[in-house]
Amino acid sequence: MTVSLVAVLLVAAALVAVGAFTAAWRRDLSAALAALPMMLGGAALAFVGVARFAAATGPALYGQAVAALLAVSALALVALGIGIAGREGSR
Amino acid sequence: MDSLHAIGFYVSATLSVGGALLVALLPERAQRGLAMAGVGLGLAGLYASLSAGFVGIVVLVCYAGIALLVGAPQYAAMASGVGDLWRQVGAVGAAALLAALAYAAYRGDFMHASFYGGALGAASVGRVLFTHDAATTEAVGGLVLVALVGATAAWRRRERAR
Repeated sequence: MTVSLVAVLLVAAALVAVGAFTAAWRRDLSAALAALPMMLGGAALAFVGVARFAAATGPALYGQAVAALLAVSALALVALGIGIAGREGSR
Repeated sequence: MDSLHAIGFYVSATLSVGGALLVALLPERAQRGLAMAGVGLGLAGLYASLSAGFVGIVVLVCYAGIALLVGAPQYAAMASGVGDLWRQVGAVGAAALLAALAYAAYRGDFMHASFYGGALGAASVGRVLFTHDAATTEAVGGLVLVALVGATAAWRRRERAR
């Protein structure tokens, strides 16, 4: 049993697609915010996968750096969205 | 990559994608928060199986925070006002996106896959973050600061209005 770059990209695609589905499907915009970390997580996984399997021309760490930045960005965006939702909901 | 890593990869992939589906479909906030924690756990496992343990730890911490935010009962619900027809169109669009990305992944064999056997670890990733990607790190730090200040200000204004 092995893991290839195609398998990593398929999982990343599934995460991005489920995130898009969540954003479209949830009636509550605050709940739809949960789509952001899924889509960013899928993108970050693709970065890490490409850096892991196809980094013969450069350091493999660039994909990991991007993934760490995307995870922190996802947390910040959800915090901001939840804060704005609370503010809008109090009106 | 040996069999143990491969098994860990596929188990983590199932956990993350299944958790994401549960976040999309579960009705209660606390349940969605738990499912989001599962997504983070699965992603951390995926990164660990791809020899990116440091990113796995970062993702674990960040997604724990996201799970707490998603599952928190305090924030107000905001109705989107979008009709059922458009929601279904969006769901079909997400399925089409999955098909397009899956096709692109299968056609992605133009890259010559070979393992880069360099040193991996917290010191190496930190060196990249604070030297080559220093500007990006600063930008994300600014984004995090603005987001946290905005969220705090919004929460305080909401509590004051009560």
